[in-house]
Amino acid sequence: MIYLDNSATTKPCKEAVEAMNRTLSEDFFNPSAIYAPAMQAGKIMEDARQAIAKALGSSDLHVLFTSGGTEGDNIALLGTARLLRGKGHFITTKVEHPAILETAAELERLGHEVTYIGVDKYGVVNVDELVAAVKENTALVSVMQVNNEVGAVMPIAEISRRVKEKNPKTLIHVDGVQGFLRVPLNMKKEGVDLYSLSGHKIHGPKGIGALVMGKTVRVSNINFGGGQEYGLRNGTENVPGIAGLGAAVKAYQKRENPYEHMMECKIALRDGLKEAIPEIIINGEIPGAPHILNVTFPVKGEVLLHALEGKGVMCSTGSACASHKKSASHVLTAMGISDSEIDGALRFSLCPDNTVEEMREVVRIAKENVEVLKKFVRR
Amino acid sequence: MSIKNVLLVRIGEIWLKGENRNFFVKALARRIKKAIENTGATLEVNQGRMFVRNIQDMDEIIAKVTKVFGVHSVSPVVQCEKDVQAIYDTAIEMMTPMTGTFKVIARRADKRFPMNSTMLNEEIGHEVLVHCPQMKVDVHSPDHELNVEVRENVYLYVEKIPAVGGMPVGTNGKAMLLLSGGIDSPVAGYMIAKRGVQLNAIHYHSFPFTSEQAKQKVVDLARMLAEYAGPIRLYVVPFTELQQELYEKCPDSQLTILMRRYMMRIANEVAKKANCSALITGESIGQVASQTMDGLVCSNAVCDMPVFRPLIGFDKSDIMDVAVKIGTYETSILPYEDCCTIFTPKHPQTKPKVETLLESEKLIDGDGLVQRAIEGIEIINIMP
Repeated sequence: MIYLDNSATTKPCKEAVEAMNRTLSEDFFNPSAIYAPAMQAGKIMEDARQAIAKALGSSDLHVLFTSGGTEGDNIALLGTARLLRGKGHFITTKVEHPAILETAAELERLGHEVTYIGVDKYGVVNVDELVAAVKENTALVSVMQVNNEVGAVMPIAEISRRVKEKNPKTLIHVDGVQGFLRVPLNMKKEGVDLYSLSGHKIHGPKGIGALVMGKTVRVSNINFGGGQEYGLRNGTENVPGIAGLGAAVKAYQKRENPYEHMMECKIALRDGLKEAIPEIIINGEIPGAPHILNVTFPVKGEVLLHALEGKGVMCSTGSACASHKKSASHVLTAMGISDSEIDGALRFSLCPDNTVEEMREVVRIAKENVEVLKKFVRR
Repeated sequence: MSIKNVLLVRIGEIWLKGENRNFFVKALARRIKKAIENTGATLEVNQGRMFVRNIQDMDEIIAKVTKVFGVHSVSPVVQCEKDVQAIYDTAIEMMTPMTGTFKVIARRADKRFPMNSTMLNEEIGHEVLVHCPQMKVDVHSPDHELNVEVRENVYLYVEKIPAVGGMPVGTNGKAMLLLSGGIDSPVAGYMIAKRGVQLNAIHYHSFPFTSEQAKQKVVDLARMLAEYAGPIRLYVVPFTELQQELYEKCPDSQLTILMRRYMMRIANEVAKKANCSALITGESIGQVASQTMDGLVCSNAVCDMPVFRPLIGFDKSDIMDVAVKIGTYETSILPYEDCCTIFTPKHPQTKPKVETLLESEKLIDGDGLVQRAIEGIEIINIMP
């Protein structure tokens, strides 16, 4: 099998599996317990916190473990809103993941104002438009680091600098679920106050993630309980998940030039497809993130997906989270792509384990199947 | 406290059978036993009455038994000793939590019992009135009917839960259901199975134009049907090659009806091999282009066995109501690629003629394609 759906989820690395195994079978204690064996659980958590903070450029950050990217996004937005006196203003983009867009819709229902900023034809947010929208009461700007469907990389440093020039009190939140580790980011240097990430996109386990915060950043809790995780995420810590996440982060950082390697694969796939099937359209910024390539084929995307599946190549239409819904991708729509072109779009998402040879194989299989399927489009 | 751990099962239409009633009762008993398998409960057949005993989870048993075709209704009953005081005590205990009006309906099957049914009605009614002052008697339209049956034991019950009715599956032969994954065909299968017919099912799979999910959806629907109809053998036919040939070589406007004819041809062949005596489809006159009167005539023409179309006179909304009732609706509307979308012509013929279709069918190697499709069949045995 050639697995090219790594933006949906990744295969857990052996380091993560081993770390989880250990915490499930041996170090199973509740980290809040006060006898000595339980302290090991606490150590594992601190170790993972440090690994994540360092991966984001500084050990001087709060790392708050969550159940994944969605919960981190919820705490960042709702937790900021809950601290406001009166109604606030929020800014985000039209191409965010539903974890942000649906939370923003909830903010609107609570009476706050939300401005949604558009993107250019490559999926990159219009920074001028975004900065112009910043107001006196703008509490938070939330922009994803890498778009999950097309791999557009958002200019976070520029956004942060210009927003803070206009309103120094505005917080910058970055949904880093598709960016973490694969596109390096330094929170302090790039002026990011809050950053959400997810374990299973970087070869860690599902059900674990983190919201990373500057130490002076304040948000309110949105759930209630035993006061774990700075009181911001109540409930007994998912120690096996945390151990797996920490191990996955460290293992990823030990890889040799993952960025360059994935970019080489992506370019090989893009150029190969372009040469083999000249009618294709590349959706998104070039080069963009090293691991996401979105392509419109001259056939129905869903049918081609199943044909590729039949040959052992796994990819997705749009994003896996959204592809069970039948509506056209909101990301591609925001980029001004027509419905008929969206119909033929497939997303290939890579990980450092993929090889250039695999890309050549995918090109060959895609060419073969597109040629057959092209004969069978609805007349 | 007496506990309701016995379920009285009433049989419906098969009670009307004459000499061969026993055959039907035995078939029904088999189906009920199958339905309650592995729950620990047991079935007792006694003088035309069926009782499920040793019940641990009454709700589970009611859900299973009321789905067995041939069962008319069920009642959870309280059993007590054949003793007048015990009957009074049990009746009072059962009526104490209730409000409104009631009447007692006593039946004395055991004629050795000293009180006849009229006396029982009066005396039990009296005792209940004395001990449950919130209740009043209304013999014409009571809120609650307290049934008391004096047999080898005494059974008391108030609740009467309707079941599906129909005839026990297996008492009326076997038929092949064309199961598409839409709303109609599961309903059609349900209706025929309800008349005692054992089901086989056939599904046409056009990978990669339809996905594994679409196939799984059909398997799920067959499993839901199997809860009523018992085990179903599902034939999954690879249909891609036939569809592609039709698309490439035959007139666009005839694609749907030609596809339909080949589906019926294949079903007809497979049904014969599986010893089925009829086909079942979910067609309803005029619902879509291939189901116009002329369309039905053309697809019917390729079959040499009866085709049952139980929904033929149904409106879509009526079909949807049954689908909701039998629990297949939610699965049927899942949005996986339907086998027809890509191969659906923009303007399908609504008045096809058999002669013209026969001409078009000469353009492809129909027999060879049908043969290959049948050879490629995957059989899935669906258990309830």
